[in-house]
Amino acid sequence: MTHAFSVPGRYDQVAIVCQFVVAGAEQSGFGIDEIFQIELACDEACTNIIEHAYGGEEKGEIQVTWDFSSGAFTITIVDEGRPFDPDEVPKPMIPADPDNIDNLQIGGLGIHFMRKLMDEVHFQMDDKKGNRLVMVKYISESEQQ
Amino acid sequence: MSIRDEPLNDKIWLVTISGRLDQSQTDDLQTLLHNLISGGHHELIVDLAEVSYVNSGGLRCLVTGWREANNLGGQFVLCCLNSRISEVFSTVGFDQVFRIFSTREEAEQQISIT
Repeated sequence: MTHAFSVPGRYDQVAIVCQFVVAGAEQSGFGIDEIFQIELACDEACTNIIEHAYGGEEKGEIQVTWDFSSGAFTITIVDEGRPFDPDEVPKPMIPADPDNIDNLQIGGLGIHFMRKLMDEVHFQMDDKKGNRLVMVKYISESEQQ
Repeated sequence: MSIRDEPLNDKIWLVTISGRLDQSQTDDLQTLLHNLISGGHHELIVDLAEVSYVNSGGLRCLVTGWREANNLGGQFVLCCLNSRISEVFSTVGFDQVFRIFSTREEAEQQISIT
């Protein structure tokens, strides 16, 4: 069963979206560490939408669904903003170089977190339909028991 | 969620953050750090003991403060991160950028002797 939720694209709505997704992860049986990772990935995804796809607040909606099936927790986040190409976002210097203070890149951290914390991350761009982001986290066998 | 600041002694200023370090707090924190550093308080300890969550916006805010203090020859150190917050820092290598101490006393001691 797919669970759906929509909010206006505002920063104060991001935590509400995350609560919706976290509740799903809890119901699906994830442990607290994985739930924290899912929450952070969801937070970064929504923040990116407001910042990059919509270019600011109150420009459109963020639609979120989650589904848990065969051990896979799938989050789908859709927006109607301009096509968002993750490859166009400057890549952060990871690991950060403390001796190179002036060149420390801190943009693009959100995408790095999403890819690091989730098992699968897929960006789909469409000029007419907007952006669709699909992120998947697999539950470990020990958590399923 | 809240941000408090107070002098720890005649040299060091302490900033204590609690709750979620995300968009709900970054504007206030950025302003506070900028005002403190530009006002001459270059030696700062930021206590994260009561922080339950941090995202990339929160990290960006801390890096900006750290960079500002460094550029003025000051010190900007962190203390008391719980294991989950530590993991977020290490995920992006920021545990190698910031000087991070287990306790406030340790942070104070290190700043005092340098």
